[in-house]
Amino acid sequence: MNISRPIRRLLPSSLSASLLRLAALFLSAYALGLSLSPLVRERGLVDLAGLRLGHWLGLGVWLGAFLLLDRQTRRLLPNRDPLLLPLAALLSGWGLMTVWRLTPYFGLRQTVWIAVCSGVFLLGLHYRKQLLAYLRRYKYVWLLGGFLLTALTFFFGTNPSAPEPRLWLGFGPVYFQPSEILKLLLIIYLAAYLADQQPLTRGWLPLLAPTALMTGLALLLLFVQRDLGTAWIFIFIYMLLIYTVAGKRRVLLASLFLLVIALVAGYELISLVHQRVDIWLNPWADPSNTGYQIVQGLLAVASGGLFGRGPGMGSPGVVPVSHSDFIYTSMVEETGLVGALALLGLVAFLCLRALRISLHARDAYQRYLAIGLAAYLACQSLLIIGGNIRMLPLTGVTLPFVSYGGSSLLASFIALLLLCLVSDDGARRAAPTRQAQSTLVLGNLILACFGLAAIVTAWWTLARGPDLLTRVDNVRRARSDRFVPRGALLDRNEVVLNQTQGAPGSYQREYLVPALGNVLGYSHSNLGQSGLEDGLDPILRGEHYQPALSLWINHVLYGQPSPGLDVRLSLDAVLSQQAASLLAGQSGAVVLLDAASGEIIAMASAPAYDPRTLDQDWPKLSTMQDGSLANKAVQVAYPPGNALGPFLLAASRAAGASPELPDDLGFWLNERYFGCNRQPQNVQSWPELVAAGCPGALAQLGLGMGGDALLSLFSNLGFYSAPSIPFEIAAQNMPASLSRAGAAATGQDGLLLSPLQMARAACTLSNFGELPASRMVLGIERVDGDEHWLQPESELATLNALPSAFAASMAQQLGNNPLGIWELGARAFDAQGRGYTWHLAGDLAVQGQANRCVVVLLEGMHPSLAQDMARALLASD
Amino acid sequence: MENLSAYVLLALRLLMAAALYSFLGWGFYTLWRDLRQQAKQTIEQRAPSLLAVLLEGEEALRFTAPEITIGRHPSCEWLLGDDTVSSQHARLSFHHDQWWLEDLGSRNGTRLNGEPLSAPVVLADQDQIFCGQVGFTIHFENAPREEE
Repeated sequence: MNISRPIRRLLPSSLSASLLRLAALFLSAYALGLSLSPLVRERGLVDLAGLRLGHWLGLGVWLGAFLLLDRQTRRLLPNRDPLLLPLAALLSGWGLMTVWRLTPYFGLRQTVWIAVCSGVFLLGLHYRKQLLAYLRRYKYVWLLGGFLLTALTFFFGTNPSAPEPRLWLGFGPVYFQPSEILKLLLIIYLAAYLADQQPLTRGWLPLLAPTALMTGLALLLLFVQRDLGTAWIFIFIYMLLIYTVAGKRRVLLASLFLLVIALVAGYELISLVHQRVDIWLNPWADPSNTGYQIVQGLLAVASGGLFGRGPGMGSPGVVPVSHSDFIYTSMVEETGLVGALALLGLVAFLCLRALRISLHARDAYQRYLAIGLAAYLACQSLLIIGGNIRMLPLTGVTLPFVSYGGSSLLASFIALLLLCLVSDDGARRAAPTRQAQSTLVLGNLILACFGLAAIVTAWWTLARGPDLLTRVDNVRRARSDRFVPRGALLDRNEVVLNQTQGAPGSYQREYLVPALGNVLGYSHSNLGQSGLEDGLDPILRGEHYQPALSLWINHVLYGQPSPGLDVRLSLDAVLSQQAASLLAGQSGAVVLLDAASGEIIAMASAPAYDPRTLDQDWPKLSTMQDGSLANKAVQVAYPPGNALGPFLLAASRAAGASPELPDDLGFWLNERYFGCNRQPQNVQSWPELVAAGCPGALAQLGLGMGGDALLSLFSNLGFYSAPSIPFEIAAQNMPASLSRAGAAATGQDGLLLSPLQMARAACTLSNFGELPASRMVLGIERVDGDEHWLQPESELATLNALPSAFAASMAQQLGNNPLGIWELGARAFDAQGRGYTWHLAGDLAVQGQANRCVVVLLEGMHPSLAQDMARALLASD
Repeated sequence: MENLSAYVLLALRLLMAAALYSFLGWGFYTLWRDLRQQAKQTIEQRAPSLLAVLLEGEEALRFTAPEITIGRHPSCEWLLGDDTVSSQHARLSFHHDQWWLEDLGSRNGTRLNGEPLSAPVVLADQDQIFCGQVGFTIHFENAPREEE
């Protein structure tokens, strides 16, 4: 090449040169974006030395190589298909940039391989006159040579990245995979042999027997070597070639039938196939182990969305072998569905050009060669792209031209060379052929498959994407947590509970009141979120209550949410801490509510964990079964036992029922006898029997009311509805009827209540029979910087559960007048015979005054301890 | 600086998408142009007109259609009223750059330069054809397309 010639001569205005210029424009924009990406990621905090620059070397080599190739092909093959080379150039350049973006070391190696492959291409151009004929004449020599080379991997096989399977031959730092070249040699052999048999005069046996034998031999080699992905491609190539040669649709149907049989047999006999198919059918079953690669790949695709995250802005490196097998997901993550459609379009276009070349080919040999190469490009691309997006079971093959790998790139370039040669040699007016119809069918098949891949990609990016991205194993959330400040949690007096500190790129969550860990929860990079951090995550993370424009801008520019908003809780830090310290050493929960508004003033759960030392405690915490990670006040439900008494009595009196006093104060349930909590002082007084917790009396009240009235009482007290607070909780479903009214009234016949549900019910006695709605969030920070808090949307309607007068008189009868409160100690047993202590207490209702109610639940029998806790909390301000 | 780099990157991403789709669009445009050219070529491949001169009466007939059916039936392009001519007797057609003659299973047969016809044959200038008892010679007119 004469350097002294003006550069203008290198860029003449032919079609291929124009397309190459567009490809170069695309890649330059990609490279520039990649260089800038660290600056954008760190929001301008990186100094200029941190910019990425290595890939410009790759771009330079790519540009030089393809300008040279374009010039030479234009000179030496003037009649070639002008679209082939630009298509290959764009695909290989895009792949090269993506590999550089993922792992610069591999990028450097791929750059060298592009140069080497271009050299091989030029060498082939030099022998353009003889090459095709030579390949045809010595077809058996080439194929046997390929077999030998592949067989060498039995003895000298290595694997550059894993112990198995050993498919490569190593020469120092260079690795070579013979099966990539064997693929091309088999296509050449098949094309040559089938062309020699034209026209089909000697029947099917001479046509099929040698080709089936050779293909079978190749398959045997691959099966022994466990190179199943390549084996599939061989099967497809053979099948499609025989179909196009025979031109009979029944060949296609018969081979599809055989393929299904092979797949079923492989599934039953080969454990690797079995495993791959199982993962394909359900990758979610084991997303951290066997399904890890495919699930992470899908997350990458989902993260791409419509427009992609931009070069260097995603996290595609999370997917194992993203530079080779999973390069498609990497490209979709950073260029989005827009890029994916273009990529699929480019590959499909290349395959269709190859088919068009086959129709214009000079003779049968060249025609079959082009069809075989088209089948190879289409099958291999579809197998790996389909495997990436869970359209097909995963097979470890590369994406031609795009994936990292020298042998794969070499095979792609040789295929490109052969196609260029065939297209240049093509007759100006194609002779009539019997294969035109089957070639058309093949083209439609290829187009349909790529269309399907496009639809599946769109499904993952647009339809399933938003849902998928909320998964805990999506590391992108944790990464954006390091770059975007998370909102703080404040108590009702605006005391900071949890907050985020640090600089972009190293934000850390701080827990200022660690005793409330079980209630407030944690926000951890690996473990995700729990508690209120989980329930309020969309607000704290800046996804809700944000102007749509700012959300959109942050999403488009950074792929991240807006800065999070602070949340003001109804909790009182001091009271909650007091509750937590009262509970220390016990196992249970405490809830203190404002009886009228339902605001949760204090909440605690024990045993507790410390969110500050989660990393070192996690191995122990995750194996413990005592619920130390749960918030027992809302997430665990207990039998209410004889804590139901006051509600039953009030409702029973309100209904005007006057049941007879029980003969037996105890109650037989499921062959167990339950007695009173304490000896009643007066067996003639209903309030005394209820206060003493006599199950016999409760059962009598229940029987007097009847199942339907009991069910509606329970429903009115909120026993079958989950309190509306930001926790993931499920309430029991309301049964159709209560058949055993007596047993149901003792609170041990299957009904389970969380301490919060019990606290709401208890509040009816301090709130004139009104059941308050529960509230945890008092306000959300305003985006416009206003100092006032935004009221969250929630229905705060109270519900009349008990007639006002009867509720008030019930509270009076449970009253402890020196303290100005009512209280009730109760106990319950679950089906396994474990005992629980309840203590319900509240202010005696005074109109116009802030009344509170409290519920203590302790696992085990600790009635006096529970009473002390409840009194202490009600006494403090 | 913070937002500037992000907006520059956004512009680059738009440029990438534009370049990608221009590439694809150009490719498809080429494909479409190819198709159109081929269609045009097929249309322009008009048969050169053919002159048939009857041996009796020296009557000359000129045909420009690429396919001429000879026979007694009114649907035939060349209607011959002779009794020895079948209703669909023979066909003259132009394809693969040549004029072809083919017998359509006539009762009295078709002869080319005295030889009875069994398969389609290529015609040459001055060929003599007999359909039954009606004979005529063929003359090709080299009328270049551009003139018309």
